[in-house]
Amino acid sequence: MAPVLELVGLTKAFGGLTAVNDMSLTVEPGEIVSIIGPNGSGKTTLFNLVSGIYEPDSGDILLEGESIAGLRPDQIQAKGISRTFQMLRLFSNMTVLENVLVGMHSRTKTRLLGAMFRLPWVTREEKEAVARAQEILAFFPGRFSGPRQSQPAASLSYANRRRLEIARALAGEPRILLLDEPVAGMNPAESLEVMQQIRELRDRGQTILMIEHDMKVVLGASDRLIAMDHGVKIAEGDPQDVANDPRVVEAYLGQRDAAAS
Amino acid sequence: MSFEQVFSLTVSGVTVGMIYALIALGYTMVYGVLEFINFAHGEVFTFGGIMAAVVLGWTGVSDAMPIWLRVVCLGGALVAAVLATVGLGLAIERLAYRPLRGRSRIIPLLAAIGVSITLQQLMILVFGPDSIIVPPSVVPAQFVTLFGSRIRVLAFIIIGISLLLMLGLTYIVRSTRIGKAMRATSQDIEAAQMMGIETNHVIAFTFAVGSGLAAVGGLLVTMYYGSIRFDSGYIYGLKAFTAAVLGGIGNIPGAVVGSLILGLAETYGVGLNLGLLMWFFVAGLAAGLYFQLVRAPKRRLKHIREEDRTPAYEREIMRLYRLAPVYAVRVALAKRTDALMAVSARHALQLTLGNVFLAVMAIVFFLNGHAQIDPQWQNVIAFAVMMIILLFRPSGLLGEHSQEKV
Amino acid sequence: MAKSGGKKRGPIATALGRVPRWVYLTAALVLAVLFPLLHSAGLMDMLWIRVAIRSLTFVLLALGLNVVMGETGLLNLGYVAFFAIGAYTTALLSSPSLGFHWSFWPLLVLSMVFAMLAGLLVGLPTLRLRGDYLAIVTLAFGEIVRTVFLNVTSITNGAAGIPAIYTPNIFGWVVTEPPQFYYLILFFVVVVVIALTNVKNSRVGRAWNALREDEIAAIHSGIDATRAKILAMVISAGVAGLAGCLFAYYQSFINPTYFLFMQSVIVVCMVVLGGMGSIPGAVIGAIVLDSLPDVIRATFSDWLPRVFGPTFMASWPAWLQSFFTDFEKYRLLLFGIVVVLVVIFRPEGLLPDTLWRSETHEEDPREQEYTRQTLFDIDEGNQDLEA
Repeated sequence: MAPVLELVGLTKAFGGLTAVNDMSLTVEPGEIVSIIGPNGSGKTTLFNLVSGIYEPDSGDILLEGESIAGLRPDQIQAKGISRTFQMLRLFSNMTVLENVLVGMHSRTKTRLLGAMFRLPWVTREEKEAVARAQEILAFFPGRFSGPRQSQPAASLSYANRRRLEIARALAGEPRILLLDEPVAGMNPAESLEVMQQIRELRDRGQTILMIEHDMKVVLGASDRLIAMDHGVKIAEGDPQDVANDPRVVEAYLGQRDAAAS
Repeated sequence: MSFEQVFSLTVSGVTVGMIYALIALGYTMVYGVLEFINFAHGEVFTFGGIMAAVVLGWTGVSDAMPIWLRVVCLGGALVAAVLATVGLGLAIERLAYRPLRGRSRIIPLLAAIGVSITLQQLMILVFGPDSIIVPPSVVPAQFVTLFGSRIRVLAFIIIGISLLLMLGLTYIVRSTRIGKAMRATSQDIEAAQMMGIETNHVIAFTFAVGSGLAAVGGLLVTMYYGSIRFDSGYIYGLKAFTAAVLGGIGNIPGAVVGSLILGLAETYGVGLNLGLLMWFFVAGLAAGLYFQLVRAPKRRLKHIREEDRTPAYEREIMRLYRLAPVYAVRVALAKRTDALMAVSARHALQLTLGNVFLAVMAIVFFLNGHAQIDPQWQNVIAFAVMMIILLFRPSGLLGEHSQEKV
Repeated sequence: MAKSGGKKRGPIATALGRVPRWVYLTAALVLAVLFPLLHSAGLMDMLWIRVAIRSLTFVLLALGLNVVMGETGLLNLGYVAFFAIGAYTTALLSSPSLGFHWSFWPLLVLSMVFAMLAGLLVGLPTLRLRGDYLAIVTLAFGEIVRTVFLNVTSITNGAAGIPAIYTPNIFGWVVTEPPQFYYLILFFVVVVVIALTNVKNSRVGRAWNALREDEIAAIHSGIDATRAKILAMVISAGVAGLAGCLFAYYQSFINPTYFLFMQSVIVVCMVVLGGMGSIPGAVIGAIVLDSLPDVIRATFSDWLPRVFGPTFMASWPAWLQSFFTDFEKYRLLLFGIVVVLVVIFRPEGLLPDTLWRSETHEEDPREQEYTRQTLFDIDEGNQDLEA
C-alpha cells in the first residue's frame, strides 16, 4: 500500500532564507507522526506547503501516490488533507454546528439553484450533513452537547475552540489530518485528554501528522517522531530515541544558549 | 500643436498635478501607516478650502488695500484654515477611527464613509449649498510671457508652494524623530509598538500632516478656480486617490509622480475629442489581445513540468487562452483538474474580461466620437485608468510588488 | 465582532426572543398585505403607498447588497450601477424611445441577466484584490456606468432620460395604480427573502459566511474563495437588476440622477443599520431609514398638529420647528451619523443575525465554569513557557 503522504525533496525559500530544505518524509496509513523542532525550524512552513498556502520551489508532494504540489488549498482539502492552525482560526460568529458543516464543504454538493428552491435532495443532503456533523461533535463527549451546538463559536472556552477546530478538520473526511500544536495553551489534564483522543482517532484508522511542543503529548501519542532544525530533518525514528538524540538536544539547547546570550 | 501650446498645457498640467499631490499625500500616508483608505479625506480637503475662503471673506480684503496687507490677509486665512483642518482631521481620527482600530478592514472603511457624508451635509448646513467665492483681490491676476506663451503667475506660485511643502515633508519623514517613528509604524505597527513607539501619537501626527496639506490644497484650488463647493471634495478626493494608487499607495514619492501623470494626462486630453481617444483604447485592445493570444500562453508554457510536456498539452493551453470563456466554464465544472490548467483558465478569463472592458470603452467613445473631453469624460478616463492599474499592477508604478498579507 | 457572541441579553431581548419566529414573520406578512387597505378605507393618504413602494425597492436593494457586504464581507460602493443597468434595460426595451415593446417576464429576466453579467465583469478581475480596493473599484465602476448612461445620448437620451415606459402586463393583469405596484413589489420581496434565506442556510451561504469570518480557514475547509465571491457578487447584482426593472416600470420615467453615488451609500447605510449578514435586519434597516424622514415630517406637520392643535410648536425655537417640518434637508446627515454611531457602538446592527437565529435556550452554567477554568489555564501555560 502506498504511503498516505510522501514528501520528496521539498524545498521552499523566502528571499535568502531557506525555510524548508530538501525535506523528505513518508507517513504510512494509520500512523501518527509528530514533528518537533525549535521555533523557526520550518515546521509550520512545511505544513503550509503541504496544505497549499505556499507552492514548493522544488520537490513534490504525493498524496497516496498522486502529486498535489501546486494545487490551491481548497483543492488540496478536497483531495483529502485537512488541517488545524496554531493560532486558532474558527468562524467566530457562526455556530458550532455551522463550523463543522463548513468543514464538510467539499463532501457535499448543494449548488446555488438547488439551495434557492430547497429541492428535495438538497434538504436530504442537509439533514445527512447535520447528522454527520453531530456524530463528529459527539467524538468529544460532553463538550458540544445539545444547545451548545447552536451557540456562536466565539462563546466557547479556549480548549473547546481547539477541539472544535479538530472537529471541523475531521468533517472534511481527510485521508491525513494535519494538527498544528493541538494542545497549545491547554492545561495538563486537557492535554492528556486531547492526546488520548488523538490516539483514539488513530485507532479508528485516521492517519495524523502533527506538530507539537509538549513532549508528554508527543511521546505519548506518536508512533514515529521527526526532528527538524533550520529547515532540515535532523533525526527520525522511534519517539524515545529521537527525543534523546544528542543532535536534537543540541538543537534545542543551542537555541536556548543563543536566546540567553 | 505648437511648442507654445505644449508648454502652457504642461504648466497647467503640473499645477493641477501638484494640487492632486497635496491631497494624494494624505491618502497615501494614512494608508501607509494604517492600511486604511480614509474615505473622508476629500471632505477634509473641501473643509480646508471653504475655511480659507470664509476667513478671507471675514478679513474684508479688497483691492483698496496695499499688496502687503492683502498678502498678510491671505497668510492669516491660510494659517487659520490649516489649523482648523488639522483640528478636524485629529478629531475624526480620535472620535471615529481610533475606537475601531484592530477591527476587520470593512468596519473602519464604513465609518469613514459615514464621516464623509456627515461632513458633507454639515458643510451644506453651515456654509450653504452654493459655491463659495474667494475674494478676487487676493488672487494674483498677472500673467508672464514665457517661451511665447502667456502663463498665470498663480500657477508658478502653486507649484512653488507645493514643492516647498513636499520638500518639508520629505525632511520630516527622512530626518526627524517622528518621521522615523512614522516609517517604523508603517513597516509593522505591532513591532513599532513593542519598540516603545507611541503609535497612537504617530497615527495622529500622520492625520494632522495629511489634513494640513489638504487644507493648503483646498486654498490653492479655491484660488485657482475662483470658488469651492461642499461637494468639490468628492471628485478631487477620488482623483487624488487614483493618483495615489497610480504611484503605488503607501509610497510618498509615488503619490507625487502619480498626481503629476494624472494632471498632465488630463490637461493634454482637453481639446482632444473622444473619437481620438477611442484610438487609444483600440490600441490598448490590440496590445491586450496580443498579450492574451501570444505572450501569455508562451509564458505559461514555460511553467509546464518536463514530464507533462506533450504537444497535445501545449496545444490545449494555447486553445485555452483563445477560447477563455468557454474553457473557464469547462474548468470550473470539472471537479478534478490539474493546477496549471485551472490557474491558466482563470488568468485567461481575466485577460478576456480586461479586453472586453477595453472594447466596451472603445465602443462608448466611438458612439460619442464628436464629443469634447469635458470634465465628465475626464472622470471616466481617470476611473478607467484606476481600474486598469488595479487589475494589472495593484502595487502601482513605484510600489514594490507586495503579496497580500496572509 | 467576536465579542457579540458571548454578550448577555437584556430582559426585553430575552422576552422578545421567547416568541417563536414564525409569529413575527406571519405578523409582518399580514401587516404588509393589509397595509394598502388603509388607503382603500380612506384612513391613509396615497402618499404612504408611494413611500412604501420606495421603501420596498430599497428593501430589495438592501437584501441584494447584504449578500456581498453582510454575508461575504466585501464592500461594494457602486451597487447602484447594477440597479441602473436593470432599470435602463427595462426602460429601453419597453418604451417608445427605441421602439421596442417587450413584455414583463422576458424583460425581468433580461434585466437580471444584464446586471449579473456586469457583476461578473466587475467581480472576476477585482475579487482577488483586497477588500478596500474592491470598494474603490466598484465605486469607480458605478460612476463610469452613470456617466455612460448620461453621455451616450444617442441611445439613452442623456440627462433628459427615458420617458413613457409602458405599464407591465402580467398574464393579463395590467399594473398601473400604486397599490397594484405595491403588491407586485411585495411579491418579489417575499420571493427574494425566501430564496436568500434558503441560500444563507445552505452550503453556499455557509461558504460565504466562512469567507467573511476567516478567509484562510475557509479555503482550508475546501471553499474555492474566488468562485464563492463571484457567485455572491453575481447574485447580488441580479437582485439589483430585478429591483431596477420594477423601479423603471413603477416610475415610468428614468434618468441618470436616480443612480447617483449617494444611492449606493444609502443602501450601504441600510445594511449597516439593520445588521450586516442579517436578512430581517436588511429589511428593517431599509424600511426604517427610507421612511423615517417622511414619518418625521408627517408627524410634526400633520399628525401632532391634529392631536395638539395646529400651533403646538409655536413656542419652540424656529430652528427646531424647521428641523422637524423640513426634515428632508437633514436626511443624509442622519444617515452619515447613524453609520458612524452604529459602527462604533453596535457593529452587529439593530437586528443581528445571531440574535435572530439563535434558539431560545437556558444559559448553560458549565460554560462559565469552563471559561473561568481556561482563562486560568492560559496564565499557567505562559508560565510554563517562561520557565
